[in-house]
Amino acid sequence: MNREAIFDRLNIIFRDIFDDESITVTDKTTADDIEEWDSLEHINLINAIEHEMGMKFTMGQVVSMKNVGEMVDVIAASIG
Amino acid sequence: MNITSFYFLCFYAVVLILYYAVPKQLQWLVLLAGSIAFYLLGGSGWLILYPLATSAVCFVSGYRLSKAEDGRRKKAWLCFSLAGTLGVLVVLIYFNFGIYTYNGLVALFQGRLFQGKPLDALQFLIPLGVSFYTLSLLGYVLDIYYGIGKVSTNFFKFTLYGMFFPAMISGPIMRFKEMEEELYRPHPLRYDQVTKGLQRMVWGFFKKLVIAERAALIVNTVYDDYSNYEGAYFWIAAVCFVIQLATDFSGYMDIVLGLAQTFGITLPENFRTPFLSKSIAEYWRRWHMTLGSFMKDYVFYPLLRSQLFVRIGNSLRSGLGKKNGKRLTTFLAMFILWFTVGIWHGGGWKYILGAGLFHWGFIVAGELVEPVFARWMKNKGRDPHHKVLDGLRVCRTFLLVTLADVFFRADSARIGFRIWKSMFSVWNPAVLVDGSLFTLGLDWIEFTVGAVSVVILILVSLLKEKGGGIRDRIAAKPLPVRWLIWYALLFYTILLGYYGPDYDAAEFIYQGF
Repeated sequence: MNREAIFDRLNIIFRDIFDDESITVTDKTTADDIEEWDSLEHINLINAIEHEMGMKFTMGQVVSMKNVGEMVDVIAASIG
Repeated sequence: MNITSFYFLCFYAVVLILYYAVPKQLQWLVLLAGSIAFYLLGGSGWLILYPLATSAVCFVSGYRLSKAEDGRRKKAWLCFSLAGTLGVLVVLIYFNFGIYTYNGLVALFQGRLFQGKPLDALQFLIPLGVSFYTLSLLGYVLDIYYGIGKVSTNFFKFTLYGMFFPAMISGPIMRFKEMEEELYRPHPLRYDQVTKGLQRMVWGFFKKLVIAERAALIVNTVYDDYSNYEGAYFWIAAVCFVIQLATDFSGYMDIVLGLAQTFGITLPENFRTPFLSKSIAEYWRRWHMTLGSFMKDYVFYPLLRSQLFVRIGNSLRSGLGKKNGKRLTTFLAMFILWFTVGIWHGGGWKYILGAGLFHWGFIVAGELVEPVFARWMKNKGRDPHHKVLDGLRVCRTFLLVTLADVFFRADSARIGFRIWKSMFSVWNPAVLVDGSLFTLGLDWIEFTVGAVSVVILILVSLLKEKGGGIRDRIAAKPLPVRWLIWYALLFYTILLGYYGPDYDAAEFIYQGF
């Protein structure tokens, strides 16, 4: 799956988790850009991504990813 | 050795002088020797083997975990470290709690549901600070297991992390990756660090010796003889206990953080004016912050990410809808989190309720009610975050914490409920104005000193909340003003504090955990 396809699927997940159809994530999107994205929603988001993408983040990745771009890198490396 | 005692101050002065006298590369060794001496001088004797053994278990586990390549081996080393940390904690602190609970059930259901004999509790000698150093050491191993930790390769340096004397007894709970650099790098003598550290220590002594010790007199009078008091007396004692607990624990933190600062070491903050919080959730982000952050990172998040909770979440979402399912899953995980926070404070239902589950209930109620209230206010065209409302929210937080802390202080959960009942069923506000207030251990002069000191504390907290460090603000004043402020605080504490050879200052409350 290429980065563009991953972003498409992430947009669907983000919109679903944060209940906001206007969300479009980019490489630079961070928790500061989405009001509801606090540490608790971060875990819910991670769980949803793992479920949808069929992959698993390590705890280290969960706490160290700085933006959506890094998240996409981890997903791409994991699902190939 | 109580850190408010004269002997401790002499001990600290010796360590400080040695610390800056030796070559800087050896400073950490002075702290290690000082930490071991502190534990031994504290009368703990052979109990020092507990923190030493726990440090050894975590050091070996951390090293092995970092070298292990397959998951099974990693899990085996993790289990080994859990046995050496949590296992010891469970046996020492919670074994008897299990026995008491079993005996309570036997007494309650004897002859009806099952037959059983009461069990005898076991007597353990509990090493000082076991609940605190265990978490700091466990966090180190878990970070390595999760792949986000730094590995220590020097056992003696690692032992200093586990036993660093200012933080060992009552925290703050440390993270190795944040403290490694702080503890081991050379620290040149810096006048500003030493003076600022001493200033913070004076502020901590003021909180502990002037406020907490005074409040304790009223608290002890009422709680130790609870069957002779009722109604408003319990409200007075409950409020005094919140003041005592807050000034005792945050005063201790000011002393240890200031003390560490004189060594050039910055420890993590544990308090951020918690009584200005507008909700219980916010209160816990400002009160005992290092415990909250530990519980969040190592209990709550792993729980939510566990297969069990992912499955629970999925089934609740499909049954109750996305929003409600997610909420209920979070509340369930929070229940376990708050149970853990409660039981960490001590093996007893009074702690599980008073420091745990009541707070869970308040947070859940807040999560459910606050959005409805905000919507209702918006529909009425009113601002749900008006200053007056926020002020009322701050008062509500104080009230809820006061109610929960009744259990924290009462001898048992049963007595806690009895006190609650009296607080809400007996109406005797006259005791607030008829002079009865001054029969609870403090005469009117002592009471006034305590009240004025609390007002000073509140004013400083408000200034702190406005932004900018208080010590930095004072440092910016002209020299005579600076000296006047610090010497006034010092002499206020010396003259009005409860201490000295004739007075046995109570141990810090959190020191018992």
